[in-house]
Amino acid sequence: MAGFTFSEKQEKEIDRIVAKYPFKKSAMLPLLTLVQRDERVVSPEAMVAISERLDCSPAYVQSVMSFYTMYHTEKVGKYMILFCINISCQLNGCDKLLEYTAQKLDIKVGGTTADDKFTLHREECLADCTNAPMMRINDTFYGELTEQRIDQILDSLS
Amino acid sequence: MTQILFKNIDMKDLTDIEVYEKQGGYQSLKKAFAQKPEEIVAMVKASGLRGRGGAGFPTGLKWSFLAKDVFPRYLCCNADESEPGTCKDRELLLKNPHMLIEGMILCSYACSIETGYIYMRGEFHDLSFIMDKALDEARAKGYLGKNIQGTGLNLDIHTHLGAGAYICGEESALLNSLEGGRGEPRMKPPFPAVEGLYAKPTVINNVETLCVVPYIVNEGAEKYAALGTEKSKGTKLVSVSGNVKRPGNYEIVMGTSTREIIYDLAGGIRDDNNLKAFIPGGSSVPMLPADQVDVAYDYESLAAAGTMLGSGALIVIDDKVDIVETTLRLISFYMHESCGKCVPCREGTRWLHQIVERILQHKGTLEHLTKMEDICDNMSFKTFCPLADACVAPVVSSIKHFRSDYEKYFKNIPTGSV
Amino acid sequence: MSDNEITLTIDGKSVTVPKGTKVVDAAKQVNVDIPVFCYHEKIGPLGCCRMCLVEVEKMPKLMTACTMTVMPDMVVKTTTEKVEKAQNGVLEFTLLNHPLDCPVCDKGGECPLQDNTFKFGAPETRMEFDRHHNAKATPLSPVITIDRERCIACQRCTAYSERIEQSRDLVMLNRGFKNEVGTFNNQSYDTRFSGNVIDICPVGALTNTEFRFKARTWDLSNTETLCANCACNCNITMGTRLNELMRIEARPNDAVDDGWICDKGRWGHSFVKSKNKILTARENSRGNGGRPTSFPAFPHDCSLPEAVSKVAQAFKKIATEHGPQSVGFIGSPYASNEDGYLYQKLFRQGLGSNNIDHKTYQDTPGLPVNHYGVEQIESSNVVLLIASDPTEELPILDLRIKKAVTNCGTRLVSLNDQKIELDKQASLSVRYNVGSETLALDALTYGLAQELGESASAQGVDATGISAETMKTLVETVRSSMKICVVYNPAALSGGAVSAVKRLLAMIAKVPTLECGAIPAAPMTNAVGAMDMGLLPDFYPGGVSIGDQEEIQKQWGETAPTEKGLSALEMIARAEAGELKALLVHRSNPVLDFPGGSKVITALKKLDLLVVHDMLETETAELAHIVLPSNGPAYDEGTTTNIGGRVQARKQALTSELKPDWEIISLMLNALGDETSYQRASEVTDEIAQKVPGYQKIGRRSVGKAGCNREPITSIDEQVSTESAQVGAGEGLRLRVASFLFTHDKILDASSKLAHHFQPSTAHLHEEDAKKLGIQDGNAILLSVSNARLEATAKVDNRCQPGGVLVPKVSDEQEVNSLIGLQGGPTWVEVRKV
Ligand SMILES: Cc1cc2nc3c(=O)[nH]c(=O)nc-3n(C[C@H](O)[C@H](O)[C@H](O)COP(=O)(O)O)c2cc1C
Ligand code: SF4
Ligand code: FES
Repeated sequence: MAGFTFSEKQEKEIDRIVAKYPFKKSAMLPLLTLVQRDERVVSPEAMVAISERLDCSPAYVQSVMSFYTMYHTEKVGKYMILFCINISCQLNGCDKLLEYTAQKLDIKVGGTTADDKFTLHREECLADCTNAPMMRINDTFYGELTEQRIDQILDSLS
Repeated sequence: MTQILFKNIDMKDLTDIEVYEKQGGYQSLKKAFAQKPEEIVAMVKASGLRGRGGAGFPTGLKWSFLAKDVFPRYLCCNADESEPGTCKDRELLLKNPHMLIEGMILCSYACSIETGYIYMRGEFHDLSFIMDKALDEARAKGYLGKNIQGTGLNLDIHTHLGAGAYICGEESALLNSLEGGRGEPRMKPPFPAVEGLYAKPTVINNVETLCVVPYIVNEGAEKYAALGTEKSKGTKLVSVSGNVKRPGNYEIVMGTSTREIIYDLAGGIRDDNNLKAFIPGGSSVPMLPADQVDVAYDYESLAAAGTMLGSGALIVIDDKVDIVETTLRLISFYMHESCGKCVPCREGTRWLHQIVERILQHKGTLEHLTKMEDICDNMSFKTFCPLADACVAPVVSSIKHFRSDYEKYFKNIPTGSV
Repeated sequence: MSDNEITLTIDGKSVTVPKGTKVVDAAKQVNVDIPVFCYHEKIGPLGCCRMCLVEVEKMPKLMTACTMTVMPDMVVKTTTEKVEKAQNGVLEFTLLNHPLDCPVCDKGGECPLQDNTFKFGAPETRMEFDRHHNAKATPLSPVITIDRERCIACQRCTAYSERIEQSRDLVMLNRGFKNEVGTFNNQSYDTRFSGNVIDICPVGALTNTEFRFKARTWDLSNTETLCANCACNCNITMGTRLNELMRIEARPNDAVDDGWICDKGRWGHSFVKSKNKILTARENSRGNGGRPTSFPAFPHDCSLPEAVSKVAQAFKKIATEHGPQSVGFIGSPYASNEDGYLYQKLFRQGLGSNNIDHKTYQDTPGLPVNHYGVEQIESSNVVLLIASDPTEELPILDLRIKKAVTNCGTRLVSLNDQKIELDKQASLSVRYNVGSETLALDALTYGLAQELGESASAQGVDATGISAETMKTLVETVRSSMKICVVYNPAALSGGAVSAVKRLLAMIAKVPTLECGAIPAAPMTNAVGAMDMGLLPDFYPGGVSIGDQEEIQKQWGETAPTEKGLSALEMIARAEAGELKALLVHRSNPVLDFPGGSKVITALKKLDLLVVHDMLETETAELAHIVLPSNGPAYDEGTTTNIGGRVQARKQALTSELKPDWEIISLMLNALGDETSYQRASEVTDEIAQKVPGYQKIGRRSVGKAGCNREPITSIDEQVSTESAQVGAGEGLRLRVASFLFTHDKILDASSKLAHHFQPSTAHLHEEDAKKLGIQDGNAILLSVSNARLEATAKVDNRCQPGGVLVPKVSDEQEVNSLIGLQGGPTWVEVRKV
């Protein structure tokens, strides 16, 4: 396995993160998040690097990371679309909108566009139910979705 | 209506500490520091404040349970907010982060805590920036750090992000997650107040719960306790979503009628349809049929009606909705979010899912309903944590109140074809 | 009833148990069977499977009996309708996606899932959908097979990896019903202790690859015996069928192994049917250049008894002609007490010689403090490891120490010349320079003496590489511990350092507030027993010193020899000098395992008579005039004494046409006029009980299934010398040979299931030395002394201090001992890049 090394910037960030906790293992999720956000994937190599950094087995890192849905073992697109399909959104017609979005992007739910730009995932409730139907793209929440609004949003992303 | 949490919620730049201070922010600290920590605990007890995260446990009592003389102690603010239908904490974090910080400082003072964490669900990454900025401001103003306002209190608060797991809202799973592990719930006892984060005494409170504390300290326990009903004190944020005209978070006084919330605050049912059902406290509580819409919105009245106040998420369902489809969506959620640690939850959620899916394909029979009820009975109160019970709630209540929705799928089905 | 006990009622029966007991375990006391899957007494509660639900009065919900601690006056009911419905329901959930392939499952017949289904399950399933399919049998490691479809995700195995092994190599992956047991990136789960997960899996998900499809469990005959691989003497069950060894399982004994065995114990048994097994008595016409003059040839169809008595007579003849000093015996720290006892009797009584030994390092029987059993580790506040690396040497001790550190608040202190695995658990790791152990130990003794106002020769730390400050912390840690257990490996201590350990122990014993004891932790299976049985030139059995004429004559008669005999290394030297004429070697391989290399060969070749009594062909057997067969583990019967002084029974699991060792030795004794005729091994044990101080209570009954501790042997003060050694200086780097668990040797041969653990020859260097020598990590290097050399790959990892080079013994082929001089002692090697 070719190694994974943290960039200088990441190292700085890691120091800042680790300092928050009395036990460094607490930095597990933040470190995985850091890698996921920078690399758009958590590779086995990165898991090894994290395990060394936090003094635990790589298996443990994988065990933790595979528990959470926000980490991916396959690289995701530049824009990660999480489309809420839970009850409040369902009551507001999200299923059709999700289907619309998938068709528009010409991918299956769970897939990534050929140009690596968009990944579309079904997501459980994202805590913005009063703006249902809603979706989250990277860090931004978009509510009160309609087909036109989806067109606008997706088209505005470069 | 009395507004405590939402008083200034839409004020411009409220996230800015200067603006917040101008509205009386952080004033409670002086008042609190003039009293002994025990007195603050007693005050919160007297206010009758109950946890707003879902279980409704008396907050003052929880604080008084901390193992004596064991340090360090920790405070974890539960900002995981993943209960379907719930989005009140998000609004508080987004628009009024300092109120939470103030509440956390008060709690830390009352409980002799020197480190606090705000555990936010991973999807709140954007909010963590707002929160971090607010924390930095509070540090710069000397509300956080060493020897705060000359009291000798040392306190720092950090944000911590989850990564996509509903179960991490359960307090002990939250602790595991914060310790860098899988978000599986822990065995209780020991309870967090005795052995929580890093095996030290820990207070875990919901965002809304902590946000109430500055008001109690500022205005006195009596004033807070004067609001609401006999046993359900104060106000409550209710996230109204679903088929209503004006979905949104509303602060109501405990005991307000549900009809008022749905029809007055939220503007009534959308498209002039009729109310069919409502889930009063987030997806984990039993749903009620429309004829119960006059139930008072407080812990006791909702319990008497066979449901719960839960996290305060009122999901409104109109008569165009097929309850079986809604139920399947909820089961699917719990199946997806079951941690898998214990058998009845892991297997039961999946089995229920398989059955309801089958029913929706018109391949079910009446016996399936009996079987589902029995599966629910085998799950409820037999699992490691309450997640399985949360899954059982909508299933059992939907069969109870909306049996006909199921039955329409059984028409013309020769028995025994499954 | 004491404060520490609690009385409760379970199904109407009152039971009193220690505080902290879980309800499931309390129920066992009154024969109430609460079904469990995930709970395992040694791993602790998990609460996953929910099979153990019970009703408790005053509690609204059913409770899991495995997680619930007993409370005074608790009333538990396990057979109510509510409980039965719940058990039924949970079992139904558990079986929902289980393949129910019992007829082809290796677990069949001993499967808790199967058993619980019979007892608590509903007659038929209500599951109407396709079961969840998952990978059938796939390798989890070269020795373990995992069937993920059968797995019920009880998490026992992963909890074992986390809590017991503490490696977290086996983990739960994913979430919810996608949960599965796995490893990082599908690598193999291949630790020193991986096999235990097979024993604890409550279904047929984790199985022994070697055993798969070989036999149904009910067709096995099971023998409760001991592992012979190291001095822990873990308890095992050997499952055999048609006189073939099918599998080995752990047989829990809290006083010894706490229920676990290492992978070497489980799979390192290929030697049992090795093609190198010695199957007959034979003359070696090639050995040593032809038949010895003093020895009459074996007749054509010589029977074993005949051959054996000829051997005895030949020794007698040489001893008579050249004096008892001309014969010698090198015994085995691997053989049973009975064999050792009889052999020393043969040489002392039959031949009048004290030329008896079993080792190449210095050690004496007895301790100036208590001899602790291994379970004492758990109740000690401090465990001090001296020159000991349990992980490689005595693996189960490693688990015990980890348990003590995590569960019992024990502090681990390592005083070693190398980094060891257990440093991770240690609260203090002190490293001394290779070869400076005597100085380091004396400095510690001196430090304690100063605190106590006792006299001891002043000893600085300069030459040890330990800072004065660290030494102070160490002294303080030892002094302030309330109960200390010192674990030291005499075989890894150079020169007279073992006396330094005893000086230290004697000083620790003087600390008034301190309870103390020691565990002599030499790795060889019966190292303690061999000492106890008097396989020593200067001690009779039971630690009776050669100087104690009165005691010796009382026990062993007027003619018992009382002058000090030759040590093993001395015997080799005297053979070289032509003074030792005849040597009998029992289950030992001096050519390879003694220092000296080719010089040992030269010496042995000079003997008039070399007899080797062993189970496998060895380099020494090749030189022997006469080779006698020995059965070896799985066939042997007798007792061994483990590091904790516990005497346990080795039982015969396989039968063989060969005579057991005790019988062969007894025939020799008979040939020399001894009239005792032992009918079975236990009769020798009985004689040991009579004749060996400390073993009075040992007998078939007392040893039973779980063994019994012998009385500790107290060393007499005068043996604890007070003089201190100096570290000599030499050219090059000081060599330290370290242990490695999976050494590729005659026991773990190439056919072994553990062959994938074999390692190439490596030499560990300190970066300072590496830099000086221009060596980089991974370089091929050569270690050499005047007449021997060793090739290795350099590992620059600071495993030892500057000035030292550490070579783990990874194989016979490596011949690492040939680097050491014939006299043993310190060795400096020249190290260079090739
Ligand atoms: C499955 C599950 C999910 C939960 N999710 C949340 C949550 O997202 N936010 C929250 O504040 N409490 C949640 N809770 C409740 C917490 O366990 C805990 O009771 C609460 O944080 C305590 O704070 P409070 O006393 O202020 O309500 C959840 C409980 C369960 C069983
Ligand atoms: S493999 Fe066995 S021990 Fe491991 S989780 Fe599955 S059932 Fe449990
Ligand atoms: S996740 Fe808690 S019981 Fe299953």
